[in-house]
Amino acid sequence: MNQTTRRYCAVVLAACAVGAAAVLIPSLGDAAGGGHAEEPQATRGPTLVAASVCEAQRLKARKADDSRLSIEIPKEFDKPWPSLSACESHDAAWDEDADGPMQPIPFSHAHHAGEFEIDCQYCHSATDRSRAAGMPSVEVCMGCHQMFPAEYDELEGIRILKQYWAEKQPIAWQQIHRLPEHVKFRHNRHIQAGVDCQQCHGPVEEIDKMHMVPDTKWWFYGLPTAKLEMGWCIECHRDNNQQATQDCVTCHH
Amino acid sequence: MPDLDRRDFLKLVGLGAGTATAAGCSDPIEKLVPYVVQPEEITPGIATVYASTCRECEAACGLHVSTREGRPIKLEGNPEHPINRGRLCARGQVGIGRTYHPDRYEGPRADGQATTWDDAEARLLAAVQANPGGTWVLGASRGPTIDGIIDAVVAGGGLGGRVVYQPFDGSALRAATEAVFGVAATPQFDLSGADLVLDFDSGFLDTGLSPVENAAQFAAARDIARHPDGGARLVTIGPRLTMTGSNAESWIPAAAGSEGALALALARAVASKRGVVDAALDAAIAKAPALSAAATAADVDLASLEQLVDAIAHAHAVVALPPNPAAAGTNAVAANAAVLLLNAVAGSVGSGVKIPRGPDPRAAAPYAEVQALVDAMNAGQVSVLIVHDANPQYSLPSASGFSAALEKVGLVASLASLVDETSVEAALVLPDHTPLESWGDAEPRAGVRSLVQPTIRPLHDTRAIGDVFLVLGRGLGVSVPSGTTRDIVAANWGGGASFRAALVRGGSFSESSAGHASVETGAAGAIGAASQFSGSGDYTLIAYPHSYLGDGSGAALPWMQEIPDPVTKLSWRSWAEISKTTAERLGVKFGDVVRIDTGNGAIEAPVYPRGGIRDDAVAVAIGQGHTVGHYASMAGDGSPGVARGANVAALLPAATDEGGGRAWLATRASLTKSGAFQRVALSQWFDNQRGRGLARQVSLLALAGGHDDDHEGPHVIEQPFERANDAAPGDPYRWGLTIDNDRCTGCSACIAACYVENNVPIVGETNAIKHREMNWIRIERYIGDGDTEGGEERRPHPDREVLGGEVDVRFAAMLCQHCGSAPCESVCPVIATYHTPDGLNAMIYNRCVGTRYCANNCVYKVRRFNYFDYGYDNWPGLLSLMLNPDVTVRGQGVMEKCSFCVQRIQLARQPAKDEGRDIRDGEIVTACQQSCPTDAITFGNTRDAKAAVNTRVDERRSYYSLHMLNTRPGITYLAQVKRVSEESHS
Repeated sequence: MNQTTRRYCAVVLAACAVGAAAVLIPSLGDAAGGGHAEEPQATRGPTLVAASVCEAQRLKARKADDSRLSIEIPKEFDKPWPSLSACESHDAAWDEDADGPMQPIPFSHAHHAGEFEIDCQYCHSATDRSRAAGMPSVEVCMGCHQMFPAEYDELEGIRILKQYWAEKQPIAWQQIHRLPEHVKFRHNRHIQAGVDCQQCHGPVEEIDKMHMVPDTKWWFYGLPTAKLEMGWCIECHRDNNQQATQDCVTCHH
Repeated sequence: MPDLDRRDFLKLVGLGAGTATAAGCSDPIEKLVPYVVQPEEITPGIATVYASTCRECEAACGLHVSTREGRPIKLEGNPEHPINRGRLCARGQVGIGRTYHPDRYEGPRADGQATTWDDAEARLLAAVQANPGGTWVLGASRGPTIDGIIDAVVAGGGLGGRVVYQPFDGSALRAATEAVFGVAATPQFDLSGADLVLDFDSGFLDTGLSPVENAAQFAAARDIARHPDGGARLVTIGPRLTMTGSNAESWIPAAAGSEGALALALARAVASKRGVVDAALDAAIAKAPALSAAATAADVDLASLEQLVDAIAHAHAVVALPPNPAAAGTNAVAANAAVLLLNAVAGSVGSGVKIPRGPDPRAAAPYAEVQALVDAMNAGQVSVLIVHDANPQYSLPSASGFSAALEKVGLVASLASLVDETSVEAALVLPDHTPLESWGDAEPRAGVRSLVQPTIRPLHDTRAIGDVFLVLGRGLGVSVPSGTTRDIVAANWGGGASFRAALVRGGSFSESSAGHASVETGAAGAIGAASQFSGSGDYTLIAYPHSYLGDGSGAALPWMQEIPDPVTKLSWRSWAEISKTTAERLGVKFGDVVRIDTGNGAIEAPVYPRGGIRDDAVAVAIGQGHTVGHYASMAGDGSPGVARGANVAALLPAATDEGGGRAWLATRASLTKSGAFQRVALSQWFDNQRGRGLARQVSLLALAGGHDDDHEGPHVIEQPFERANDAAPGDPYRWGLTIDNDRCTGCSACIAACYVENNVPIVGETNAIKHREMNWIRIERYIGDGDTEGGEERRPHPDREVLGGEVDVRFAAMLCQHCGSAPCESVCPVIATYHTPDGLNAMIYNRCVGTRYCANNCVYKVRRFNYFDYGYDNWPGLLSLMLNPDVTVRGQGVMEKCSFCVQRIQLARQPAKDEGRDIRDGEIVTACQQSCPTDAITFGNTRDAKAAVNTRVDERRSYYSLHMLNTRPGITYLAQVKRVSEESHS
């Protein structure tokens, strides 16, 4: 389905939603009278016992914030790895409520590209020479991950990764940045021209669960063009008039 | 609807539309599936190329298989290969489709049910073990290594034997070479140094021994830049004007089967003029008929023969090419021997005709051996028949009795990879890999060893034929080499480094040791009686090999069905070629169905009346009439079991020549009008170019600056404009094409290459009849300059050919001209077609709304409209895997046309931009240019004065197509050179 249709869909659905809301909101008022349960305050209360390394890391972090907290870390969970950030990113990448599709592995870009500053092209290695950026093979993931201590297996994502590797099965990721088949985009041209990955893919290094970051540009006559739509591409090509071509056949052939 | 008023109706419609829209509001999410371990040589988005060998015909051309992410998507010639030198014919181009073909067996089958390999191989082994002596192997040669495995199993296991069966067995030529020169081998013909080529119905440009190689040599021998006198002249001798014959200067329309007598008479006449010192040769031609007797026997004009004798006697290098196997009658050995003797008399043995030192390694058995096997089957002596790489049920003449004999065989095992007439009769199917999935090798001639390597993991549960025989051999206790076919291929190629080197190069190529041979003293023994014909009809039945279908194996490939026959421009069906006189006699017109009856059987086919065939002959192409297959039969159109066209083998007697080879030309036929009319897909209705100068000709005299009948003074074709101007002022490029019509042979390799490169859909017969064919490039065939008078009739009448004499056939490739002032651009309401800064006439599919204004306004009629959603319907099953990912698959309602392979232009821009330079000349090679065996097409930047696209423009014969309409085309044509003139006859 193309972008225009989608925008049209959105308008239709929004209109429906407004109508439905007008009908439903008065009745909701009655139902929502109960109010919220109070957030439990961290007090001296009962001692919190960690049941896993990740939990231990979180309790330690809370303890650091609030020294009054009473925590107990069993010996087997008192380990440096997985680190707190690994645990947090892992869960955030599989947060069902966050934007973006659920991936087969809770891979966090924020953890890899952000915290550890792994270069994008370490994994997406064809970006500078091919039209396709290339997705890392399982071997590339395992290249680092098999060096890591076995404690990391506590994370389900790591266990899934190792299972893929043991079974020699490829990982079927859900595609997020997709162009229609009549667009022949070339990653290498844009990398050679010095365009940052973030310019199209958003602040990837801050995102745990990968999703498309909206970047709507307002074009002529107040027309919105969403990210990865043609007007959005052209906007940038126009701004770099000397360097970037605006010839249709460059992308459409 | 009683109570529904307009208002309610509209509400309901609105509700429906809203619901439909909302339901469509979820994007299908695609999966990205990277490798587990990414092979080092593979970069997604960049093609990886492997060298292999084409197996579509016997010539064994070298291939470069272009793969993307592990899928072969395009075949191109291997430039290092000595046979094809980087070029590839139409059949080779589309061979890629076999791998992804919907007709493929997806696994072994027993008694019509899917089974496991263990079970299938156990069944085969048990049946063979029960009666090894009653087990026979029937199939074509598969190259030294696999032939070696099969032969070892057959010999070691005590099997009944192996018959190497090929429908065109070529045994007559081998027998003739043995009789004349003492070596049972197929001679090599080298036309590159010839100045006179005699084509005795050899089909050397399309269906001959090595079409790509010979076409390149022929073009070199006629290169007008190197030979100001025009170079080699071609004289074609035979009953109909073939594609090869269409390139000739003159045609001697000899009766079918009389070529041998004619060649011998010519040899004798030339010898008496020139004088021959070789006693053996003298003795051999002593029995030759006099020229006048031969002229009578061949029913040709004596004067034309005398002229030919003069020409041969005066020529420096004559090459006479013997009849192709299908043109051989019951005296085929004598006919071939006569042509070889003519070469000997002309002194071209050792130069134009090279005789190999040793016999052909694994030559096809003469037909008599196949018939002996059929007789043994009939007698119940064959308990197991293993058929591989052959479709005898289809290709053997029905008079051979193969169908009935097959039922008396205990177990028929087929190793076919695509379903065919034989494999559907087989109780056991052990499907082979396709050529792109298998290991193997080929040795088309001594010294040229070519390697076949897999370029894709087998798509289905198939097994290599070599492995099947190895398992069988081990089961029988034969000591076969250990390992798989791959290991044996590697071992045969020296293993290790030398194997790896061969994998990179595509084989090992050292010049063959073939050369001179002297005529044997007993050569006269080969000369015998005239051709015998059975049957009582008035017409000689000429079953000729179709340019693309080969022996019928090409019919499964939809491109070979859809690309129009180079001569008649018909596709998707069989037709009967008869002369215009015959058509009048029968009272039939184009498309009327006639019944062709030989006594052995009868078929019905629509007629194609033409001037280019003798009055006493009817010609039907071999290759159609399959009853199974997605494209080969009508099954794909929803009527299973219905043959597409007619199988000419049903008409043929089981005749043999003197050496036991198959005689295809051995029966007469009677023709009767059936009264029915058949609409056929004819892509070019007229061969009259009406003086529009679409396919021009320049005489040698005019080229040399002299006067001729047509022109006064030195010949200059009007140059109304400079094509390099038609691009943006500052742009370094204006892309253009130069097409040399003098080199074009009409072979259509460019069309096939374009289909595969550009994801051009196949429309099928029904739509082809409605002229909805999608080819981006077509080859037009015109006769002469044409008449502007008459021809008001609105029915197809390609009828300007004349029988015999001077041949004036013009081939002109027609494709988008990328006009500088394009009529299509100005009428597009949505600017879907526009002019790019580098001079391309671009077509943006996603802008197109399908008004078809552009196609209507295009003067060249090269724009193609997607009437249906071909993109989704026409690559059923796995065929979509061969789509070129660099080219958009067009949807319904979108116009498309030649893009000058813009994806290749964009690809060439990448290194140029990275290195900060302009694109170099020769960096961009369009698909049509790449495939052209004769190098007729040159692509390049017309703004670069040194580019080949400019330097190849010969001012004396360059012209633009329809330039008087001020379209300012980007394609320069070079006019064909007229090599026949009053002067050149002397």
